[in-house]
Amino acid sequence: MTTSTADAPRPFRGTTAFLRTEALVQAHEELAMATSMVVQGVLLVFVWILNPGLIGVALLGAVLFSMFAMGQRVLNEAAYIRIDHKANELYLAGPLTAEGYFLGLSIGILVVYLAPVAVVGVLADLVVHLSLLEVGLLVILAAAVWLCAASIGYVLSTAFQDNRAIWAYASLFFNVFGVLPPVFYPLGLFPSGLRPIVLLMPPSAAAAILQTAIGAAHPTGGQLELAAVGLVVESAALFLFAVYWARRTARER
Amino acid sequence: MSEVALQSRELRKTYLSKGAPAVRALAGVSLEVRRGERVALLGRNGAGKTTFLRIASTLLRPTSGSIQVFDVDVDRHPERVRPYIAVVPQEGKPFFHLTPREQVYTYLRARGLGRETAKARTEESLERMGLLESADRLAITLSGGQRQRTMVATVIATEAPLLFLDEPTIGMDPFARRSVWESLRELTRRGSTIVLTTHYLDEADALSQRLYIIERGQVLVSGTAEDLKRSVGGTLKVHLPEGARAIDAFRGFGSCVADGPGLTVIVAPERLGELMATAVGRGLTATVGPVTLEEAFLNVVGRSIDDD
Repeated sequence: MTTSTADAPRPFRGTTAFLRTEALVQAHEELAMATSMVVQGVLLVFVWILNPGLIGVALLGAVLFSMFAMGQRVLNEAAYIRIDHKANELYLAGPLTAEGYFLGLSIGILVVYLAPVAVVGVLADLVVHLSLLEVGLLVILAAAVWLCAASIGYVLSTAFQDNRAIWAYASLFFNVFGVLPPVFYPLGLFPSGLRPIVLLMPPSAAAAILQTAIGAAHPTGGQLELAAVGLVVESAALFLFAVYWARRTARER
Repeated sequence: MSEVALQSRELRKTYLSKGAPAVRALAGVSLEVRRGERVALLGRNGAGKTTFLRIASTLLRPTSGSIQVFDVDVDRHPERVRPYIAVVPQEGKPFFHLTPREQVYTYLRARGLGRETAKARTEESLERMGLLESADRLAITLSGGQRQRTMVATVIATEAPLLFLDEPTIGMDPFARRSVWESLRELTRRGSTIVLTTHYLDEADALSQRLYIIERGQVLVSGTAEDLKRSVGGTLKVHLPEGARAIDAFRGFGSCVADGPGLTVIVAPERLGELMATAVGRGLTATVGPVTLEEAFLNVVGRSIDDD
């Protein structure tokens, strides 16, 4: 073997193996899993009390919000294992690729926390009676929202040097962009002048598309196209940037 | 595979941060480690040891200079270097919600080892580190020493051609430290190369085949522990607990270091009798022992390794 001619590892090498590691870590944290849907549950109760007719939209919104909130878990976990455990140094000074580390960590969290989200999805189906096409659309939108959130979470995680700062800011970002815009309630209830802004935010863009599909929202003048194109471009761009950023930050400067 | 595992030439690193003065961590480090060697980097806190190790292990970019691992340029081709190295980071910890067995096994799998090999290496490594009894307890329930042993077990199980260990035995009891030393010796017998930093001079003495003393980002001296000890000017040290007041009487015997009221004199064995007679003549008590790396370090750096 001559190392001078060794090939560079293929992109995303080690993703599956690190995914298993992270899933195993997360699976040992039963309490965190048990409490993962508390915010969504509380918001659903609010909607139920205020307007039971909106519970179907709110349940679908809960699915999308849950996927967006995974970004906060990625942020917390990536920063924690880097700052407190130096896990990035252990893993990245080895054959595992930087993008495999990012994606494995993100999917590892996803697979563990997906079960309660799926339960909410089934409840939404029982209330809204989604067609097969609409179920497919929900899955695609949820995946796009997750991709955006995981990418944002990982990139943001690299900015922190102190876990205490993360406690203060992480929930702020994901709750403001996941709860305030029309995710748990119909797009029509949001001020029309501000709609272009929320239609560019991944969770509310996905919610607007889904609400339109089930007839709960009636966007006008290219708003649906803005939401759809925006979501596609954002998920692709954010993911590619996160891959680039993971590679770049694998080495400090 | 190249016979030179690690080679650096005039390696420099300056940390720049906004609103703070630049910090020069490495000021031209040149060193070479041959395949199969165990080499220790010794130095006080902030001397540059960890910076060097982080650059060598592809985690930090140098400001200038060159560094190669098995003839591959670390700065230009880090992705080609990584399959050949493994690192115990300074103050690294295992995942708290994994057991030592899971930690080692999943790490080996993440490095691309097959199931059976990973399983066998995991058991062997846990046994070497005395972790079999606690192998199925979550790391969060383990002591600091056990966690550190888990980190070492994780990395030595890779049997990577080049291992970097940044203060690998910190927090371990003397028995665990000796287990680590023996495991590292075994790894080099199998062909791995080991570069470690340590604050424990006895560890560097017992474990390293060669060592580099680094101070203010530069290599001050390199050689074997025996070379360094010989360079002090004698093989015996005489400690006189109340000898500082009579330091002038002992200057002719060798180098003298006063520490409060105490005095340590490095002396050649043939002059020991004469020195002891001088001490008795002045009513001083004395203890005699072999020169250790501590004296060598003090002699080279001018300060103790524990001084900040």
